[in-house]
Amino acid sequence: MAITRPDFPLPDVADELVAPFFAGAAAGELRVTRCRACSAYVWYPVEACPDCGETAIEWVAVSGRGTLFSWAVVRRAFLPAFADRVPFVTALVALDEDPAVRLCTLVVDLDLDDDLAFDRGIATLHADAPMEVVFRPLRFTTVPDREVIVPMFHLARGHES
Amino acid sequence: MSAPDWGHAVDLRDVGGEVAIVGIGETAYSKASGRTATEIGAEAAERAIADAGLEPADIDGLAWSGAFPGFGAAEFHAHFGTDHELWTTPWGGGMAWAGTVPSLAADAIRDGKARHVLNVFAVAWATQRAEMTGGPGEVHAQQSLKQNLEVPFGWFPQPIYFATIMRRHMLEFGTTREQFGAVAVTLREHANRTPSAVFHDKPLTLDGYLGAPMLADPLCLYDSCPISDGGAAYVMTSVERSRDLARPPAVVLGVGEGYSGSGTHWSQQRAFTSTPQVFSAPGAWAMAGVDPDDVDVLTCYDPFTIASIMQIEDMGFCAKGAAGELAASGGLRFDSGRLPYNTHGGLLSHAYVLGIAHVVECVKQLRGTADAQVAGCEVAVYGGYTGHMASTLVLAKAR
Ligand SMILES: [Zn+2]
Repeated sequence: MAITRPDFPLPDVADELVAPFFAGAAAGELRVTRCRACSAYVWYPVEACPDCGETAIEWVAVSGRGTLFSWAVVRRAFLPAFADRVPFVTALVALDEDPAVRLCTLVVDLDLDDDLAFDRGIATLHADAPMEVVFRPLRFTTVPDREVIVPMFHLARGHES
Repeated sequence: MSAPDWGHAVDLRDVGGEVAIVGIGETAYSKASGRTATEIGAEAAERAIADAGLEPADIDGLAWSGAFPGFGAAEFHAHFGTDHELWTTPWGGGMAWAGTVPSLAADAIRDGKARHVLNVFAVAWATQRAEMTGGPGEVHAQQSLKQNLEVPFGWFPQPIYFATIMRRHMLEFGTTREQFGAVAVTLREHANRTPSAVFHDKPLTLDGYLGAPMLADPLCLYDSCPISDGGAAYVMTSVERSRDLARPPAVVLGVGEGYSGSGTHWSQQRAFTSTPQVFSAPGAWAMAGVDPDDVDVLTCYDPFTIASIMQIEDMGFCAKGAAGELAASGGLRFDSGRLPYNTHGGLLSHAYVLGIAHVVECVKQLRGTADAQVAGCEVAVYGGYTGHMASTLVLAKAR
């Protein structure tokens, strides 16, 4: 049952269900799935549109702008690969095109001392803060010599406190 | 206001008043025991059958959890040295299924397929974790979408999901850490009165809660349940048959079952700070002919404090967003609260045996034999919550 893929927890960019997501990131584009028949965004990628039942699902580029829906400041590594990353902020960002689409992402470019404070009242992270995508290499020291470009998010310029 | 559409209820046959729980059995609850789930399950089964005043050969129906096999028909026969025919279902055991399996048992009993149905659940995750296998995270990491769109971004495993849900609940409703702390402290006090609880001899104060290490802000150590070894079982039969047996029956008055439309992908659940109790509980209340005000004891599947807060709200015990206040005002205490809650300590402080001990606690409360006994308990309810699924089981004293 254990996951044996040697590059775990890097994403498996060859997995056809999600390959276009990572191909998009490598090309500097945030791509999500949409139903060609009814134009509804459909996330996560699925075989058939839950709104109209059509199977014509396509990958489309979106603006990369969104809002901070919620986040957690991870202080304990639950996987060995994250041991040297803590503390870090993992978050759900709601896309401007359709806030029902939430991306799990890493929030980057934070001033850790201030931004990680949960209850000090000076944290720049707040509900519905405007966010924008950046494409950065994701690396884990447990997976030497490998990286995958992924979408991460930071506070939208001009909105830092 | 239109009905919420982010999930659905299962249309269950009205089984209210048909069956009862007539025997309960528990093993020790512990950290790593070195035992297998099969061994633990056998012991729980043995004790439940004995409690009902029955013999293993009387058991002609067996339910377990197909997701966590350990004690099925082959193991039953091997343990008891029997070979009779068993009606079986893998849609039992713990988690949300600990709440829905009475509905399946009622059908089997009505159709003459079984007379006495045993439901068993056992887990040895503490032992397995010591051996670096199993556990709730590993099950999830197998799924492609989680493995590629969540895990690489650190949104994994369950403590992270629930930290994120917890923060959103705080942002939407103003719920505070002190309020989550009140849930943890109340459940620990209940565990302190319950000798079988893993945390029986470990007190917890609100200051202790607030000063505990953060796992993932805002979720701290005491918002999260331990990993345990242990198991329990219960025997069901018709209410008619229960009158011949030794124990006072805990009559199944209502069963509910509901699902979230986003499956196990919490990140995409439209009502992010809700549970499918929104869909499960109303059906159970209707079938039982009771409403939340009639409930004397509530037990809910509570791997994290936020799971308690959400279910208490979603089952209709208070307005959405108000469960934190209810907890902080002492409302969940067994002796003085308006809603005595997880009176054995819950997953959080009793043991992480995935809900089966919650149902057993409901039965004890109705029998008047619980360690933190609620005076005059007539109606006890279990709320099961397993990701995309919720169940609601309404039990009552025979009238
Ligand atoms: Zn469509």
